[in-house]
Amino acid sequence: MKKLLLLLTLVVSVFAIAGCSKSTTENTGTNITTANGTSAPTTTVQAGTIKVWVGAESQAFYTQKLADYKVYYQEQNGVAFPHNFLVEAVDTGSAAGIFLNDTEQGADIFTAAHDNLGRLIAGSSAVMPVLTPALQAQIQNDNPEMFQNVIKGILSDQEFTFAVPYVAQSLVLYYNKAYIDETQVQTWEGILEAATTAGKKALALSGTDGFNNSFVLLAREDGTKETSLRLYEDGILENTFGTGDDTIAKLKWGQDFFTHPNGVVSSSSTAWEVQLQNESTIAFIGGAWHFESAQDSLGNNLGVAVLPKFTITESQAYGEVEAGTVFQSGSFYDTKAFFMKKGSAYQPYLEDILLYLTSKDVQEESFEVANNLPTYKNALDEFAAFQEDTIEIQLAKMQLQMAEFSIPQPFGASSKFNTYYYQKGAPDLILEILENTGGNYSTHAQILQQMQYVETIWKTGVNEKP
Amino acid sequence: MEHTEDRKNKKTSVISRFLSFFQKIGNKILKFFINLYKFFKNGFKKFYARFMDGSIGTKLSHLVMGAGNFYHKQFIKGFIYLALQFGFFFLMITSPMVNNTPIGFKSLGNLITLGTEEGGIIFNPDFTFEIIPTDNSMLMLLFGVVVIGIIAVYIVAHNSSIKSSYKADLDKRNNKKPTNFKQDIKSLLDDRFHVALLTPAMIGILVFTILPTIFMILIAFTNSDKEHVPGQQLIDWVGFLNFSNIFSGTGEISRRFLPVLSWTLVWAFFATFTNYIGGILLALLINKKEVKFKKIWRTVFVITIALPQFVTLLAMRSLLMNQGPVHQMLMNIGILAEGSTFEILQFAADPLTTRIAVILINVWIGVPFTMLMTSGILMNVPSELYEAAQIDGATKRQAFFNITIPYIVFVTTPYLITSFIGNITSFNVIFLLTGGLPRAGGGAIAGETDLLVTWLYKLTIEQNDYNLGSVIAILTFIITASATLISYRRSKSFKEEDAFQ
Amino acid sequence: MIKTVKKFKSVKASRLTSTIFSYITLGILSIIWLYPILWILLSAFRVEYRDGNLITTVVGNYIPKGLGLENFRILFENPTGNNPFIQWFINTLIVSLFTFILSTLFTLSVAYVMSKLRFPMRKKFLSIAIILGLFPGFMSMIAIYYILKAISLTGTLYALILVYSAGAGLGFYVAKGFFDIIPNSLMESARLDGATNSQIFTKIVLPLSKPIIIYTALLSFIGPWMDFIFAKVILGTNRQMYTVAVGLYEMMYGEQVSSSQFTVFAAGSVIVAIPIVTLFLSMQKYYVEGVTAGAVKG
Repeated sequence: MKKLLLLLTLVVSVFAIAGCSKSTTENTGTNITTANGTSAPTTTVQAGTIKVWVGAESQAFYTQKLADYKVYYQEQNGVAFPHNFLVEAVDTGSAAGIFLNDTEQGADIFTAAHDNLGRLIAGSSAVMPVLTPALQAQIQNDNPEMFQNVIKGILSDQEFTFAVPYVAQSLVLYYNKAYIDETQVQTWEGILEAATTAGKKALALSGTDGFNNSFVLLAREDGTKETSLRLYEDGILENTFGTGDDTIAKLKWGQDFFTHPNGVVSSSSTAWEVQLQNESTIAFIGGAWHFESAQDSLGNNLGVAVLPKFTITESQAYGEVEAGTVFQSGSFYDTKAFFMKKGSAYQPYLEDILLYLTSKDVQEESFEVANNLPTYKNALDEFAAFQEDTIEIQLAKMQLQMAEFSIPQPFGASSKFNTYYYQKGAPDLILEILENTGGNYSTHAQILQQMQYVETIWKTGVNEKP
Repeated sequence: MEHTEDRKNKKTSVISRFLSFFQKIGNKILKFFINLYKFFKNGFKKFYARFMDGSIGTKLSHLVMGAGNFYHKQFIKGFIYLALQFGFFFLMITSPMVNNTPIGFKSLGNLITLGTEEGGIIFNPDFTFEIIPTDNSMLMLLFGVVVIGIIAVYIVAHNSSIKSSYKADLDKRNNKKPTNFKQDIKSLLDDRFHVALLTPAMIGILVFTILPTIFMILIAFTNSDKEHVPGQQLIDWVGFLNFSNIFSGTGEISRRFLPVLSWTLVWAFFATFTNYIGGILLALLINKKEVKFKKIWRTVFVITIALPQFVTLLAMRSLLMNQGPVHQMLMNIGILAEGSTFEILQFAADPLTTRIAVILINVWIGVPFTMLMTSGILMNVPSELYEAAQIDGATKRQAFFNITIPYIVFVTTPYLITSFIGNITSFNVIFLLTGGLPRAGGGAIAGETDLLVTWLYKLTIEQNDYNLGSVIAILTFIITASATLISYRRSKSFKEEDAFQ
Repeated sequence: MIKTVKKFKSVKASRLTSTIFSYITLGILSIIWLYPILWILLSAFRVEYRDGNLITTVVGNYIPKGLGLENFRILFENPTGNNPFIQWFINTLIVSLFTFILSTLFTLSVAYVMSKLRFPMRKKFLSIAIILGLFPGFMSMIAIYYILKAISLTGTLYALILVYSAGAGLGFYVAKGFFDIIPNSLMESARLDGATNSQIFTKIVLPLSKPIIIYTALLSFIGPWMDFIFAKVILGTNRQMYTVAVGLYEMMYGEQVSSSQFTVFAAGSVIVAIPIVTLFLSMQKYYVEGVTAGAVKG
């Protein structure tokens, strides 16, 4: 027994010593760095590897672009770029997840959806803000205003921009042209009518998470584009309001649509494809990332449209919202943005790299090659690529049109907690209204009560049943 | 009147039995501490006697490891001990940084505070900035546990160095030569062979099972959740708060705990018995005399065991989805109407449907296993049992019901218990088939088919609420441990382990 | 006389009906058991087009409209560069080879010690082993991640080998049950002949234990082909280092997938299944022995 323990000590101490010797070499000189990114340090540096994470669909493209950047860098500075690049495919959700588990394991530049910002900068922050005026200026000039507001956060009592937007995305309607004609697709009533005549289901949703069914909640009045719904507007926790008359009326309409015999069917992440294929369902709400599957399923019958409008009926009208009011379905209009890891050894280079990767030209190329919807605000007018007429361009145009009726996915951060739309199952509670689970939400009053509950969760981050 | 009296008696007897159970546990704990006290008292006495009795070398060994071995000219052994002591103190005093967190004596302080530096970035007006790293509370906790382990191991090692020197003293007194290094190594292959065999396995268990388990138990007493990201925010000790939240809180963990627990037990019960009975029946069917090609029949079912579950279960899931192949088939043969929906897994309207479905699919997974096992047992039924029955004039049918079946049941009872415990912590079937869905309402993370383990997975891996996950894990452990305790008390194989050797 | 003939006939008849009944039941059950497995096979070889696009999603028809090797081609050519299946296969092979050697060694040595050698702390070790086995494995996953990180092993195959085999010592029950049956007298006579404990183990006990060695080795070899949770946590984003289980699972349900690749997943599954199933079926005899021993001993 004692020899066993002896060996144990030996091994444990060897492990410990081996481990520490390695890590001390790793961490030299990363603590203090200058942020003057545009002019690169002149001293000779040991070549390292800058790790970059992008979505799987654009991995090849950005590998190419970073190779181009090296050439560009040499032209600008007269010296070769001293480091290598490693581009890995890590999707936006996982990337933020890895950072929140173990920052050191993360890449120097990574892609995350903007709504992760609150969690990423909480506490002492896992990411670095943009400090160079050049990159700040490019972000300000190129991006629509709605994105400007959601990439800012407060650190050490100062406001900074933390993310560099480069891909936009929103939800669109994929539909089967064999069943739905161009007039019908403009309203949910039209689609429902087509479905009822054909004995099909009108709409498939993928999964039950609150993203794909948000079109009801986020709908805006057709003419004025107004809604009383507020979700952390300007990142302020108190600017949250989910109990307006129009919200209740919209949800009541949504409930009637969801529970209609030919209405909505919730499917698993693969089942909706089969439902489109065998034409048991004739439309689907999804993002650009569903495009390939939708095309596999519908072939030439695939149509892409903006999310339809709907009209409030007599029984759905509530408070100030009268019957006959027309709403346009809304959506989240998100941006995938580049973030920089805090404490990266390559910090002095990162901002210049991002300046290049999110420039107008690279965004246009990214759209042509990898089908990434640019965040560049005048893309529709200025990009040559948008002048063609393929289904892919159609998809891009529909998404850009959706932007008018959309908000970026909201989040808010306080010193105590970070909160966002998905907080503590809030969207599930809304889905309960839409599906009228157990018949518990049949009246306007019941819907209002549930929405008060949801509002509390959004504001406090705590899900406690009243 | 009498009736109620009777019931009362029963009730009190249940209560008193319940109380006596706790009394017994209390006694055990008391006994443990008394024994611990005795252990230290005797240990100290022995220690003192040895110190007084030993040679100078042995006395010196108390300060410098290996001194006694040098004194007895056991140089290699002495060197090893000395190197160990040097290594230990070097590590402790220098407290080197591993992943920016010190490991050494400093870790002990860190274990108590779990870090004090909140960290941040200081921005200077001249475009420079300075990053102050946040203390990584998670690593501090881990290293604290590691260092306590190292200290414990060091104390035992130091004691063993004294012991070895004292043994050499005694050898000398008895006019024997103290053992040399070669002899020590040789003894490892013979009378100390268990040490040689156990050491590598023990190191693995210590580092990758015991250490993580202790670490995670401690996490249950902290506020390590998604609002406290290690390296970004500091984590703190919160005592029993996470546990009391289960019983008195209003959050998800208190609302969903009892439903998930009861479903877990129901699941484990049905999963165990359906597989058990189904497997035995299938084995009996295949082993019928008149059934030919036994091997082929068996192989058909055994393939299920060999295939990875993530393949077979994902195939099941795609087969059984709405508008999937099974649905199509049912519509084609007219059982379901055209245009119907067929949701039995994730989106079933009634969670009961899903629950029955997963138990039935689990039959597909589990029955072949029991079948194989029962087949093995059937071949081993002692023939003298049948012979005796034949002499008594029993028919085949009688022999079957009075001998074969009781024998199988008798022999497989321990298996029943282990498989019940296994089913409490079974993960794949639920995770791959339903992911815990259908939703349970109220925005809860734990769905209607979530078991304690799948909930634990969601809480830790998906939600980063490590403290809650840890609490669930500890409670799961308590449940499986009590089931095991009950079963081991009953099974004779544990008590009479040596009897049949 | 007539009576007995009649009886004989009816016995024969009832036996015949019972035989028919047995075959019908077995037939139906076999169909149920093979139905999902055949579905994977058919999906792997399914080649269906819709307006020129290969359909890789799940479809509603069980029987494919066209067969071919297109899915296997996609699997091996790896057009997106993110699913290096051949690399995954090699990784898994390496991990499972080392795991099976280490685990078998650990398991057998602990089992032998617990079964045949007597030493202080033995009973304590037995109880501790039972208790440790009852903690849910997922609980320690995060801790193991940090330990591996402290020794700079996360994202490597070494880490996987370590994690899969390190705990093997705790799974000694089945093998212990087997060693218990080997009579002590055999060892004692060897001891009288002057054999050391290590010689008894290697020269006498191990040669008698072929079934349990194969059983232990088989299980530890197959393990790495099936685990998709632990490996994912340890390997993180390092796709080149994935094992087939993690890779295929990610292909199907990872957030990466822009279009679900069910048929390609099925093709990969078939390739993974062939060696394991063959191995398993050829070793079935030993597996049954191990399972039976394990169950009876509990």
